[in-house]
Amino acid sequence: MASEPEKVVPPVEAPVAEPEKAALPPSTTRPTDYFAVADVVLRLLVFASALVSVVVMSTSKETEMLPYPRPAKFTESPALIYFVAALSVAGFFSLITTLGSLYSLIKPGCCAKIISHFIVIDVLLLGIVASATGAAGSVTYIGLKGNTYVGWGKICTLYGKFCRYLGASIGVSLFASVMLVLLVLLSVYSLSKKIPK
Amino acid sequence: METESYTNGGVAKEIGVANKQTIRWNDFVLRFLAFVVTLVAAIVLGVSKQNELVPVQLVPTLPPINVPASAKWSHMSAFVYFVIVNAIACAYAVISLVLSLANRGKAKGLSVTIILMDLIMIALLYSSVGAAAAVGLIGYKGNTQVRWNKVCDVFGKFCRQVAAAIAISLVGSILFLLLVLFAMLNLHKNRRH
Repeated sequence: MASEPEKVVPPVEAPVAEPEKAALPPSTTRPTDYFAVADVVLRLLVFASALVSVVVMSTSKETEMLPYPRPAKFTESPALIYFVAALSVAGFFSLITTLGSLYSLIKPGCCAKIISHFIVIDVLLLGIVASATGAAGSVTYIGLKGNTYVGWGKICTLYGKFCRYLGASIGVSLFASVMLVLLVLLSVYSLSKKIPK
Repeated sequence: METESYTNGGVAKEIGVANKQTIRWNDFVLRFLAFVVTLVAAIVLGVSKQNELVPVQLVPTLPPINVPASAKWSHMSAFVYFVIVNAIACAYAVISLVLSLANRGKAKGLSVTIILMDLIMIALLYSSVGAAAAVGLIGYKGNTQVRWNKVCDVFGKFCRQVAAAIAISLVGSILFLLLVLFAMLNLHKNRRH
């Protein structure tokens, strides 16, 4: 009679252990679900702001009548051309990574290795977008304030709409770089949570 | 969790050993190099100054008058931003070197904060390189469309110093980038599979 409860107990333990083991994977993936959703949202924001920046700067053309019609376009300054090119690259790569992490959200655990490589792209994009923002920002600032030491006059008093478009584009790319910082921080935080204490 | 540690007792021990507090030498060396490089970049631009006599033609009939003109880094706001950001990065490299040596992987919150500050330094440094390079390019080639004349044909030494400082700061930015990538690699290696 004493052996019977012993025989009863191990079979009860095994089914208890199995639901625990079966319950473990969903409970460990549920916190990372929030990370995956936030990941997709941030990447989408980066792509959207890169797209908006490129479009706004490409359409910033203003023609003023000095004695002859003089247009102001972004193609006149190499720094602004670099800005448009860099943000186009950033938009392209952020689109690819958005689609990748969206696919990983829909089918969890499919391509974790590739997704873990996306963070390298994010850090590189941060450098590129930050340098483009700095370059365009410095040129626009000179256009706004001028520089009396070297005799560079301000152009924003004449081309107001052009300067406003430039300013808006640079502001949006600044937002894109902040989003990229948050994106990398999110990946770092989710990785650090997986490290055992 | 208890059953996991019971069945994976051997593996849990390995994970515990893998997370031991070690000095990450690549982190230490990169931070020290970043400190040196950003310091050099800030100094090279900070001491750049050139005085020249510029011939100015006031009246077409009279010979041109030589007007003394000077080129200093403080004349240009982009260069001021460059020097300030490189100084901040230099100070941060020292502080984070001390902090990461003291931390050595103990407090995860501090490690994540250091990575966050590294990211912000990447953004600041790259933007300062872009700004100084854009202004330097205008000074080198001029911009005829907006009537901004080139400056580097008169102030050659100053322009060379600016170019050197920008190149050095670019190296510093790449060092900060490598710092973040190595930290990421370390986190990836130490994570629970």
